[in-house]
Amino acid sequence: MKITKEIIQRIEGEATLELEWEKEQVSFAKIKFFNYRGIEEILKKRPLLDALALTPKVCGICSHSHAIASVLAIEECFKSAGESLHVNQKAKDIREIALNAEKIQNHIKWYFFTILPELKRVSDPTYKGNAFKEKQWFQAQRAIMDSLKMGAHFTGQWPHGSFVMAGGVTCDPLRSDLISAHGCLDAVIAFCEEHFYGMSLEEFLSFDSALQVMSVPSALSFGIDEMLKHGFDRLGRSFDRFLALGESFMYEGSLKASKTTVLGADVKYVHESLDHTFFADKNSGYTYSKSAMYKKSFCEVGPLSRLMVAKEPLMRDFHRRFKDAALTRVVARAVECAHLLWRTKALLQSIDLKEASLIPPKKEIHGLSGEGVGVIEAPRGSLIHHVVVHQGIIESYDIITPTVWNLGNGDKQNPSTAQKALIGLNSFTKADFVLKSFDVCSVCTTQ
Amino acid sequence: MPHKSSIIWLQGLTCNGNSHSFLNYAYMPSFAASFDMLYHPLWCGAEDFMSLLRSDETFDFLILEGALSHDERLIQRFNLPFYEILDTLAARAKYIICAGSCASFGGVFRLRDPEKITGALFSGKEKGGYWLERNNVINISGCPVHPRWLVETLLALHNGEKVLLDEFLRPKEVFSYLAHHGCLRNEYFEWKVDSKQLGQKEGCLFYDHGCLGPMSHANCNKILWNDVSSKTRAGSPCLGCTEFDFPRLALYETQKNMSLPQTPFGISKRAYYTLAGVAKSFKIERLEKKLIDEDN
Repeated sequence: MKITKEIIQRIEGEATLELEWEKEQVSFAKIKFFNYRGIEEILKKRPLLDALALTPKVCGICSHSHAIASVLAIEECFKSAGESLHVNQKAKDIREIALNAEKIQNHIKWYFFTILPELKRVSDPTYKGNAFKEKQWFQAQRAIMDSLKMGAHFTGQWPHGSFVMAGGVTCDPLRSDLISAHGCLDAVIAFCEEHFYGMSLEEFLSFDSALQVMSVPSALSFGIDEMLKHGFDRLGRSFDRFLALGESFMYEGSLKASKTTVLGADVKYVHESLDHTFFADKNSGYTYSKSAMYKKSFCEVGPLSRLMVAKEPLMRDFHRRFKDAALTRVVARAVECAHLLWRTKALLQSIDLKEASLIPPKKEIHGLSGEGVGVIEAPRGSLIHHVVVHQGIIESYDIITPTVWNLGNGDKQNPSTAQKALIGLNSFTKADFVLKSFDVCSVCTTQ
Repeated sequence: MPHKSSIIWLQGLTCNGNSHSFLNYAYMPSFAASFDMLYHPLWCGAEDFMSLLRSDETFDFLILEGALSHDERLIQRFNLPFYEILDTLAARAKYIICAGSCASFGGVFRLRDPEKITGALFSGKEKGGYWLERNNVINISGCPVHPRWLVETLLALHNGEKVLLDEFLRPKEVFSYLAHHGCLRNEYFEWKVDSKQLGQKEGCLFYDHGCLGPMSHANCNKILWNDVSSKTRAGSPCLGCTEFDFPRLALYETQKNMSLPQTPFGISKRAYYTLAGVAKSFKIERLEKKLIDEDN
């Protein structure tokens, strides 16, 4: 049996993909992450609120997501200690706007900075690409910047803003902030209409057939054509099992979809495995990445999962044609980006600035004991923070990130979502692309 | 064709926040006109990393992001111990730029193991980090680095100008300011009006909410973040992320001695408390009310 080891570059961080080959096909894959920072350990024995400032440092590309998961966990700590905090709709809207800004920039960045160059490389292995020489790279960078600037009106900064607090948000925006944020959002929409989708956002969102998207020249249809050319409409399929534990405007409650059946999901069935990690066994472990499972099954999380549980018509059509192939996964991020732009526009129009931004807890935080779980939908999928606090001091902090769901390591009998998607491929180039279709974030994975 | 300076960007123990912050630079085409990004971990650069590593050619800037360690169990890149890569590249770089507090002082991740995890030339405030000495290092601290701090320092050096540095090797143009300068809550600070609770425009966050603006070196409130705001403008206390002791314990609490907060940077305690007492005695009605009073 042949075994190859390759470095996966141009993801968030770095991973090593160790592939086992039989008859020129991948028979098993190990996904290895070698850099470890230990945020969960660093948080121990610190005051509870420090988590709001330090968990964003898990990841530079989804720092707001961590801040929001963290505040939800802290709010649950109050609840477990007998005080249910009321968070105003205004604060909820601001949290959602900030989170949407983060998702929008992530999806644009990933599609234009990672997927398009990777597809060019698949076509021409000698293609190197140089971001600083490509006009479209600069246009995308501008849109990314505008998206984050939109959010920064409420969060103060991105990355690593600390704008949430138990009971609401810290900012108290003016109407002028809303108008300025709206201007930024419109600039992002204009970029997406011209370059990403090749049509108006409204038109794109009205589609329910893959053919409608593919018929209009755009960065998205170019990517789809390229993926079809190289067979990614059939490659990279996994279990077809989707999970979205966090709330969304697109569906009610947390849900799990298998094939087309959508069922209620509950965070209590989440299980974290240390198998194959250095934490379980220094010598036989091979990665710092833990694995997450739902009822002992690996499930896919992320935009495709969210859109599948939401029964989004366009994605359902892509899925009907291509199942959970790499192509479907890539398209899902583009489709979700369109919904997020539309949704954020509505939020900026409807937000009620007269409400209080924050209603502080009555209970003194220094005496707080209890535990809490915060679950949100981050750019790459469900993110869970679990904190145990005693007398205001963190006893333990556990973070389950989206990449841990998708790119954990199972066994040959029970492979993880990404491992399943890699088995059967016949080249490293394809394996590299399929792995990247999950929008890998190694910094989140290993914290 | 004007000369372009070359950059290799290397990541140590990091969250990638400095890379993503850099992507918020508002005038990227102008930056790219003066620089070649030979290698960046997140997007396509001009060269392949392994060829760069094996080459013996010099280059202009090695940008370091993330805390550093000689321990290969903590950090590897390209299946190589990180120190092999760093030492090889550092020997060929004209300048080494530490982007962010992790590379400068060890930052958040140093807390886990301060013996093994450090900044390039500092471990916290102590001299002697990954290297004991080196005369071509510039620290641009911050969690993360502001894109303008980074770009403007690189451009100054590219243009052959001298960059004045403070005792922590940080560019004075950025770090002579305090985060307090330009804070919209300054008047509340002057007259000692506390912010009663977070989530409001009014009041100073220094007295009860842990704001470190008056003792943190950075021009955040002068140049703003994402061109529009800052932590304090969004009602959140400054966390002191540009300082060597970031992150200190209890970030949302003001450390007090006999119920008095720390004194701002460079001011004697006695004089400050006397002045503060006088200022507080004024009870300025305007500052006790909402900034925008809807009843009038």
